Amino acid sequence: MTTVTDSPGMVRTMAWMNYAFLLAMMAVIAGILTAAMTMQYGYGELPCPLCLLQRVALFGVCLGIIQSFRHGFSYQNTGVSLVFTIFLLIVSVRQTLLDIYPRPGHEYIGTEVFGIHMPVWSIVIAVCILTAYALKLTALGSNDHLSDVQPAQYPVLSKIAGLVGLYVVVIAVINTVSVFVQCGLNQCHTFNYQLLQ
Amino acid sequence: MMFAVFVVLSCALILGYMGRRALSLASMFICFVLAVWLFLWEIYSPEYGFRMPWIQVEHIPTPHNTDNGKV
Repeated sequence: MTTVTDSPGMVRTMAWMNYAFLLAMMAVIAGILTAAMTMQYGYGELPCPLCLLQRVALFGVCLGIIQSFRHGFSYQNTGVSLVFTIFLLIVSVRQTLLDIYPRPGHEYIGTEVFGIHMPVWSIVIAVCILTAYALKLTALGSNDHLSDVQPAQYPVLSKIAGLVGLYVVVIAVINTVSVFVQCGLNQCHTFNYQLLQ
Repeated sequence: MMFAVFVVLSCALILGYMGRRALSLASMFICFVLAVWLFLWEIYSPEYGFRMPWIQVEHIPTPHNTDNGKV
């Protein structure tokens, strides 16, 4: 029986779609992290501890994608991204449930974006990532033909992915410095930057 | 502790970007374990434990059926 994966041209097209999907996802996540950092540095909204863990989860999703562009697509890399997506979902759901009933010391903090607070957005983002992976698996199918094609066969895509990946690494380092200034080696709070007092 | 999570995370991303796959994945695993531990520590309350009593709704007793399903 002949399948679409028997055609080399179709395999190349599907592999291109796979890498384009991964690049788009990494770019969107980089944009989300940049928006969060803009809210922090531009509007003085310090991230809470669970918000910082949600950033960690988003960086973890990006690591799986960076590995795919560095070493070729594999479901192990997809697994890394999915583990951190589930972590993002658990943390954001728990934070939403913590703040859903306002009481002293527990209420949504930060500016609403389109009427929705950040932890609720995190749930939406996590569900979108899971849905996107599910749709990709449905559309592109099995591993064999996708992992045979290395990203280096698409020079433009690889170059853009390299730049976006570098940007993700740079903002991760900036976040690390920022966390040190905000929390020092102690518990994190949203009152002020502990090292700038 | 949060700083430690971010340091290990940055190491994982830098190593991953440089192509050191095994070291990167090992760092990311350590980061994940630390992040889960920190998450559990953050949400634990000495008063409530891991429970969330503020979202509990009041239990309404179900009335007994008395007449052919009519309450």
